Amino acid sequence: MNESVKASYLIVAVISGALFGSGLYVSQMVDPLKVLKFLDFGAIPSGNWDPSLAFVIVAAILVMFIGVKITKKNNEPILDDEFHLPDSKKIDHSLIVGSVIFGLGWGMSGICPGPAISLIAFMPENLIIFLLAMFAGSFLGSYVLKLMTPIEISNNGEKFTL
Amino acid sequence: MENFSPITALIGGAMIGLASAILWIFNGRIAGISGIFGQLLPPARTIIWRLVFLVSMIGATYITYLILPNLGGENGAKPELVDSSILWVAISGLLIGLGTKISNGCTSGHGVCGLARFSLRSLIAVIVFFITAIVTVSVSGITL
Repeated sequence: MNESVKASYLIVAVISGALFGSGLYVSQMVDPLKVLKFLDFGAIPSGNWDPSLAFVIVAAILVMFIGVKITKKNNEPILDDEFHLPDSKKIDHSLIVGSVIFGLGWGMSGICPGPAISLIAFMPENLIIFLLAMFAGSFLGSYVLKLMTPIEISNNGEKFTL
Repeated sequence: MENFSPITALIGGAMIGLASAILWIFNGRIAGISGIFGQLLPPARTIIWRLVFLVSMIGATYITYLILPNLGGENGAKPELVDSSILWVAISGLLIGLGTKISNGCTSGHGVCGLARFSLRSLIAVIVFFITAIVTVSVSGITL
């Protein structure tokens, strides 16, 4: 049976999702204005800058760092055969271009994907349009990614990149 | 810094970190939200846990609001979109979906999980999207 449909695996998904959603509310990262007030570095001189988001991300990284440390000794997670890491390790065009595009969209609204989903709990005006556009963008992105990824051809062990 | 909330920021951040750690230790999965919803579309094979995670996330956000309604403001004010004009919202959403798919991560995937794993790829992504977002906010003047 596929590991990912086992009850224990799904219970972990419920607990992790719940902690994540609750954490987004407690940290107020679910509030787009709160996020924009952090990104508004222009407000630093006047003293109106809100550094809260930096505290959120540093706390999250520290706890996750301990989680990563714990698994260093094991070669596999408790409920699955392997750790699922992204295939690409390269610093390439797609990483930079994609990050610029995401940063533009994030700066326009103060909504990144986690809060976008969590905001469904409150259904603010026009969130549905935001979500449909985000899904459309993600769908479109998989095709853009194919166009951007260099095609590698292996010939007698030598690799060529087109 | 009238709105600065370091205590709830640290507690909420630690909860997000714990959520990511649990998903990693038990299921070997990265708690990157753009990745979790981005692979809901076919031909994805692991749809169920992603849906379960996202539904639980939405439910917990709401339940926490019911328990602590005044965290985000007086009288249980619910969060709103800052500029909810249709075109602005649609472009923002489209760029976020597109960008996170192309760079394979967002604030949670690259920002929390990637940096905690000392991924150079994630560090570069985080620097680029934070700088771009900061510049975008300053150019658009949306917080004014």
